[in-house]
Amino acid sequence: MEAVYIDKHVSLINECRQGSRQAQFEIYKLYAKAMFNIAFRILNHHGEAEDVLQESFLDAFMRVKEFRAETTFGLWLKQIVINKSITCLRKRKMDLVPVEELEIAMPQEEDEEDLQLQVDLVKRAITLLPDGYRLVLTLYLFEGYDHEEIAHILNISENTSRTQYMRAKLKLHRLLEKKGEKDEQKN
Amino acid sequence: MSKRIEDFIRENKTAFDTEVPGDHLWLKMEESLKKTEHSLKNSEQKQPKSWWWIGIAASLLVVLGIGYMYNQKVQPSNALAQVSPVQAKKQVRFSSMIAQKADSLQVLATENPELYQKFTTDLEGIQADYDMLKKDLVKSPNQEFVIRAMEKNLELQLQVVSQQLQIINQVRQVNKDSQL
Repeated sequence: MEAVYIDKHVSLINECRQGSRQAQFEIYKLYAKAMFNIAFRILNHHGEAEDVLQESFLDAFMRVKEFRAETTFGLWLKQIVINKSITCLRKRKMDLVPVEELEIAMPQEEDEEDLQLQVDLVKRAITLLPDGYRLVLTLYLFEGYDHEEIAHILNISENTSRTQYMRAKLKLHRLLEKKGEKDEQKN
Repeated sequence: MSKRIEDFIRENKTAFDTEVPGDHLWLKMEESLKKTEHSLKNSEQKQPKSWWWIGIAASLLVVLGIGYMYNQKVQPSNALAQVSPVQAKKQVRFSSMIAQKADSLQVLATENPELYQKFTTDLEGIQADYDMLKKDLVKSPNQEFVIRAMEKNLELQLQVVSQQLQIINQVRQVNKDSQL
């Protein structure tokens, strides 16, 4: 039970507790990019992800006194970011774009490394998923939550989480296959 | 195919973190941090909110008390004030403290109506005792004794409300933790 987590940035966090602006900036620099990508994957919107990022850091700095070193600061912050992203997503009116009509834009840079090309493709396909699918897929694949945890976070049943994830994955495949066919036709 | 995509994402997670937040964001945040810290400091110095509530709670209590006693036609508060003005003042102070705590309890209780229901029944029981004592005071041959009992009753009420607040706060903390 008494697992001791060693946080790399303990001293920085302690300085944050005392309200040191410099320490806050250091923490921001350390975590901003990763946290921003989490918010962006959930929200699929640059501006909204920036708002969530800002809110989350403000919240974290204001509540840093409450942070007990039971988890790492990064995990704690991530939970704040995910919660705020989900709230933001729920506030947004679910304007569902009919997925079939969208096309995946072709990556332009042919010279880039193969891996980055593939990553771009998958990323683009993920942005085309409907909000609900993308949310479950992101939490499961990227943030490493299991279905039990997702069910808890989203207040849905574990089964719903599973089926949503399966459907999301299927849709993702179809989107990627579509893209593949187009490539073949071109060649 | 299905496995491939999952593995691909899991193996290349960091490669997916390509988005970068705008450079201006830290500046915006610094502004908000300054503002929040400033307003926090101000509220610590003045504490306008909490005093407001104590004032409202106390005056409400006085008004309610007067109305109630008027209905009773005997005016026990006068009786109490006559028997012991110091005690009367003390009781008003106590009651306002109880009212204030009960107020915050009510605010927190919206999340947990069942618990709140139980709490109010507990408190109402003790309050009913207090009202009985108040009535007795007028007729009682040993008024000092009754006053002491009233005082004890108020102390008990305060203790109960404080504990209830503590419990509700704990429940909230647990809920919050499990949410995260």
